[in-house]
Amino acid sequence: MSAPNASERKACWSARDELWKCLDVHKDNSSACEKYQQEFEDKCPALWVKYFIKRRDFLKYKDKIQKEGFEPTEGASKL
Amino acid sequence: MLRLRGLKWHVMSWSILRSTTREITKLSHHMPKAMSPSCRALKKTHQSLFRTSAQCFPPPLFGEQRAFYSQDSSKTPNSGSSARIKLRTRLFVTLLFGGSIIGTWWYVYQEKEQRIQMQRLEQLKKVAVGQGDFHLLDHTGQRRIKRDFLGHWVLLYFGFTHCPDICPDELDKMTNVVRILDKDPSLPPVQPLFITVDPERDDVAAMAKYVKDFHPRLVGLTGTAEEVMHAGRDYRVYASAGPKDEDGDYIVDHTIIIYLVNPDGLFLDYYNRMKNDAQIVESIRDHMKKYVKLFPD
Repeated sequence: MSAPNASERKACWSARDELWKCLDVHKDNSSACEKYQQEFEDKCPALWVKYFIKRRDFLKYKDKIQKEGFEPTEGASKL
Repeated sequence: MLRLRGLKWHVMSWSILRSTTREITKLSHHMPKAMSPSCRALKKTHQSLFRTSAQCFPPPLFGEQRAFYSQDSSKTPNSGSSARIKLRTRLFVTLLFGGSIIGTWWYVYQEKEQRIQMQRLEQLKKVAVGQGDFHLLDHTGQRRIKRDFLGHWVLLYFGFTHCPDICPDELDKMTNVVRILDKDPSLPPVQPLFITVDPERDDVAAMAKYVKDFHPRLVGLTGTAEEVMHAGRDYRVYASAGPKDEDGDYIVDHTIIIYLVNPDGLFLDYYNRMKNDAQIVESIRDHMKKYVKLFPD
């Protein structure tokens, strides 16, 4: 399987962006965004789909930490 | 060392004075037994210039000075004009002395700047990033070694063609940087390079297909696993292939850095994801200016 070229990459990224916009609006309610999910999985290689799902989780986690702060784990507080 | 130079110059000015005053002493009728001014003042070159030059006049002149300052009615027209000549000579000598001090200071300052630059280069060499040679194939199938790129400024990025978003982003950024630098005719052209960390999948054909989407001068480099690993190790690039999924696809985790290499093949600087293209352009321009100063040819 050869790598996607520039236009394929762009198509994949815009499908991903659409999906993420929908998920943001519907508060990650994936059932409401079935259509975008389908398109996203069509346009992007399977590996990228998994990668972008993980990436989204990471970005949300990073956001949460930046906005809400974090609690250090139990081990750390023993210092 | 500065003092010694001042001494040398002052000895020269002394000899100028001696020759000038030899004529003047013939005119003078009054030759007091003046104390010989100690030229110990010579050693204190940081004293005011006027004082220094005044103190080292030879005895006959010293007498002349007294005659000049005392405003004696016995002052003849001859000694008046000779005093004016003396003033001009004194002024000339002072300016010469001052000019030589400034010249010396400037020269020493330049030497120091040069030394600092050399020291920094030595430090960079010690870090020894990118010191080795690499033997790779470019995307046209031609064999390329590191020496081929000497004499050019190089922007180097390690990545792989199956990269979902990061590598295309970074290569786009690199393309933009090179494009902006190309617009400036006073700067030498920069050679962008893309070396794969995934030699298993990224063969010459894959690289050719990939680099087409970026800057026309971008050269993609690949090779055997051994050659690629060697090149990556030279630049201390971390690369680790992830697990394969059901399609046999995998993502290679790797250092996301753009390296700047100067025409001597020396690694100068690096840019991570946080630097945008404008910042990188500024930095490269700065490096280029400094480089030209150090090795003028």
